[in-house]
Amino acid sequence: MDIVFSAATVAYGARIALQPLTLTLSERRIGVVGLNGSGKTTMARLINGLVKPTAGTVTVDGLDTVTDEAAARGKTGFIFQNPQHQMILPILAEDIAFGLKNRKLSKAEIAGKTDAILSRFGISHLARRRVHELSGGETQLGAIASVLVTGPDLLILDEPTNQLDLKNRGLIERTIAGLPEQVLVISHDLALLESFDRVLVFHEGRLAADDTPSNAIAAYRNLASC
Amino acid sequence: MLNGLDIEGNSPLHRLPVRGKLILLFTAAILLLLISDLRVLVPALALAALLYLSTGIGLGEAFRRTRFVLFTVLLVALANYLFHSLHEALVVFCRLSALVLLAAAVTATTGISAFMDEITRLITPLERFGFVRAADVSLAVGLVIRFVPEIFARYGEIADAHRARGLRVRPFTVLVPLIILTLKDADTIAMAIDARGFRRH
Repeated sequence: MDIVFSAATVAYGARIALQPLTLTLSERRIGVVGLNGSGKTTMARLINGLVKPTAGTVTVDGLDTVTDEAAARGKTGFIFQNPQHQMILPILAEDIAFGLKNRKLSKAEIAGKTDAILSRFGISHLARRRVHELSGGETQLGAIASVLVTGPDLLILDEPTNQLDLKNRGLIERTIAGLPEQVLVISHDLALLESFDRVLVFHEGRLAADDTPSNAIAAYRNLASC
Repeated sequence: MLNGLDIEGNSPLHRLPVRGKLILLFTAAILLLLISDLRVLVPALALAALLYLSTGIGLGEAFRRTRFVLFTVLLVALANYLFHSLHEALVVFCRLSALVLLAAAVTATTGISAFMDEITRLITPLERFGFVRAADVSLAVGLVIRFVPEIFARYGEIADAHRARGLRVRPFTVLVPLIILTLKDADTIAMAIDARGFRRH
């Protein structure tokens, strides 16, 4: 699926969060790195319309994120930095089912899709658990399941291994590697991005590098050491 | 921490359908407002307390959940005593306390998702007149129930942070960060709801 930025710009008053960005993303695994406040989260949020461009356009599979907001958003799933913030309901299975409501599905269809996604991620045994009782890795898996249950083509993860211990980080890395969906990952965990197809480096609101993981990470290290 | 107000259990109230519970609560509220006889209201209060405890919640947790509302009821009763009479104060206290305990019993035995589904079903007919969007109303109710414990937990964390820094816990210095953090959380939750496509306008 193609994600196309055409001179997409985000400004908050006089402050430019993202300088005009023109870019087409079609790879299966895309990494995004940058220092804090570099514009990488703004760029990711443009893709599913959580942030609207103040100039230019962003399209997802040909759908404009402003004029076709709902349809474009249906193509993308978003995992926030703190996955607990996106768990709306207290029981994992109920939270996963939450995303399927308002889609004119029967109760049986919702239950079937919920069971299937829990099974896909090997977390069926956690279905009736309260989300605040889950470990960091389980919470992250639950959040991924709750987003993928609606069938997006692209999954955006904002620092998915942040706050995780080594074991859970490995679990999430393996999970991301095995996802058939297109994935865009924002991360400070450079090792996670080493096997990706393409890595973007953002710096002070601009795209500073766009290359293979090894070249882009080297460019990022240079910027970070300045 | 994420939590809800419902507790797991198999009490008769747990087994009652959500709609039945809401109808019973509504009927009880009407009756309690119509009755001013303490010979009925005192047993009604005792019955409401028993019903609440029958959910298996435990005395400590039951008190912890309702203490702020009951304290407010007490203040209202006190005002009635000062401006009206002792009888009026007792009537107000028994009536409102019974209602609080019955409502607490319903929320303790009903999952948020079930609550939201039922409210959506009940309000959907009004959509025809263009007054409301049933899913939005049920989401709002669900979020209130879902985040009440979280706001209390956040209050506890801020109070602990005060103590850790050797500061006295004063309502004003706790409430200001609590309001700011709650509003910030509300923004994030709203964004998460949008990101998950729940509000498909």
